[in-house]
Amino acid sequence: MDSFSSSSKSNPWQRPPVIRQQSAKPLSTAFIGLVLMLWPWRLTAQELIVNESVHNARISQNEARLFFTMRLPFWENNLPVKVFVLPDDHPLHRQFAKNVLGLFPYQLRQVWDRQIFSGTGQAPITVATEQEMVKRVASTPGGIGYVESASAYSQVRTLEVR
Amino acid sequence: MRHLLLITAFLAMLGPTSAHAEGSESLWDGLQVHGFASQAAIWTSENRFFGNSPETSFAFTEIGLNASLPINPRILLSGQLLARRAGDMYDGTPELDYGLADITLASSNEQRWGVRVGRVKNPLGIYNETRDVPFTRPGIFLPQVIYYDKIRNLALSTDGLMFYGESYIDQGALSLTLGGGQPVIDDNVGWTFLRNNYDGEFQTDNKTGLVQLWYSTPGERFKFGLSGIMLSLRFDPGQHSPLRSGTTDIFYWIASIQYDTEDWTLSAEYLREPLAWDDYGPLFPNFKTTVEGYYLQGTYRIRPNIELLMRYEEGFANRNDRDGVRFSTRTGGLFPPFAGFSKIWTAGLRWDINRQWMVRAEYQRHHGTFVLSFRENPDLGQLREYWNLFAVQAAFRF
Repeated sequence: MDSFSSSSKSNPWQRPPVIRQQSAKPLSTAFIGLVLMLWPWRLTAQELIVNESVHNARISQNEARLFFTMRLPFWENNLPVKVFVLPDDHPLHRQFAKNVLGLFPYQLRQVWDRQIFSGTGQAPITVATEQEMVKRVASTPGGIGYVESASAYSQVRTLEVR
Repeated sequence: MRHLLLITAFLAMLGPTSAHAEGSESLWDGLQVHGFASQAAIWTSENRFFGNSPETSFAFTEIGLNASLPINPRILLSGQLLARRAGDMYDGTPELDYGLADITLASSNEQRWGVRVGRVKNPLGIYNETRDVPFTRPGIFLPQVIYYDKIRNLALSTDGLMFYGESYIDQGALSLTLGGGQPVIDDNVGWTFLRNNYDGEFQTDNKTGLVQLWYSTPGERFKFGLSGIMLSLRFDPGQHSPLRSGTTDIFYWIASIQYDTEDWTLSAEYLREPLAWDDYGPLFPNFKTTVEGYYLQGTYRIRPNIELLMRYEEGFANRNDRDGVRFSTRTGGLFPPFAGFSKIWTAGLRWDINRQWMVRAEYQRHHGTFVLSFRENPDLGQLREYWNLFAVQAAFRF
């Protein structure tokens, strides 16, 4: 900003349109860059959501992993846990697994497959879209899932993962 | 049968109360049904592996169907039927792969304790529990020096009880399984342990026990495991058997390590299996040996749905006679030395086309024939020391 205004002020008569154009370009690039940096970052800050019946305010990353690997059958208030996930190749699922759970998507699949095909556990319920995820978590007592940004949905609670 | 009665009695006690507590929710809402099917084509340059492979074998088919039903959040009932055709070793008759009740006795965010009752898959090594599900394997074939297909049933499952405990701490997760019961055996046991199908039947003594211990770091980057099964087989000779009533004692244990990154998974396992044959009579003198095997394996995900496999493995019928010469001499040359070991290079490619379909291809270079089934290769004189294998497989799941 400063360099732009000072350069146009110090040389107001020397080819002003050219200088304006040249300095305006990096400025708009910087602005777009800033938007690209901040906006998707806010978008990809996936959040863990739960049904209204769940009273926990926050859980640890370790606990979040236990819920999504189907190892915790109950909430603190003894409500059965119902886990909802998006398909393995869904971008939101991949982001959530890596950023929130700290697991690679293929690791989750391995854990679920071992349980499904050895009879020692069940798979989470797979939903097709983020909207369906919200709907199912909102309507299932003990439900847990995830969204891109929970502020858009009032019918579910956000659970902070420390 | 006794186990089934036990399970039923247990459920009769617990089932109805939970159903009432759930209110409007139906018991059947939690039912999950999954399945898989696969078909492979196998070609070998020499020696028979999964059928008449020198002339291209299609005799490797896997079909599985399972269901699981949580009676309440603490009790899961599950069962799987498996039809598996594998060359001359298995004909594809459907069998109960597992059928169990998994009961969580205590659970918190720090630990979980429970027991599995019924026919339970043995949690041995990284792959044994789901060894017949193509999607859970790194290749078309598991490393044969550890997960033998010539005698898979002995280590496959147990009719009995398995207690498990898991502890979750900030430094990782620790899990322990203790099991006991009756191993499920078939006539490949005779072919492998007596090198022939003599008239008679194998029974198991009540000395069967299983232990498994795993530690994994947070995020499951590193996993370390130790698992083992101890069992004793008694041979009840038939009228025409040249052998007497002998016993075979088996202790099969595996040390495992696995490291995961986003693109790579590196695995290594080491097997040792001390074996002792006693009292089979003069035709089959008392004998002790220690089978050994290990492999190093890397899988690389080029893309989330395309995976490369590289593996090197070695296995020995007797770790004190790794080149097989001593045993060959003892048998007067009937057994070629190379039948006592296998050294195998494997390269493979896997493509998960979509959520249901997967195809893959695999090449193996073999030195030695230790991993081959005597049932498929009864004429030892026909065995060839160096051979190649090429296989493709298509698999479906839901």
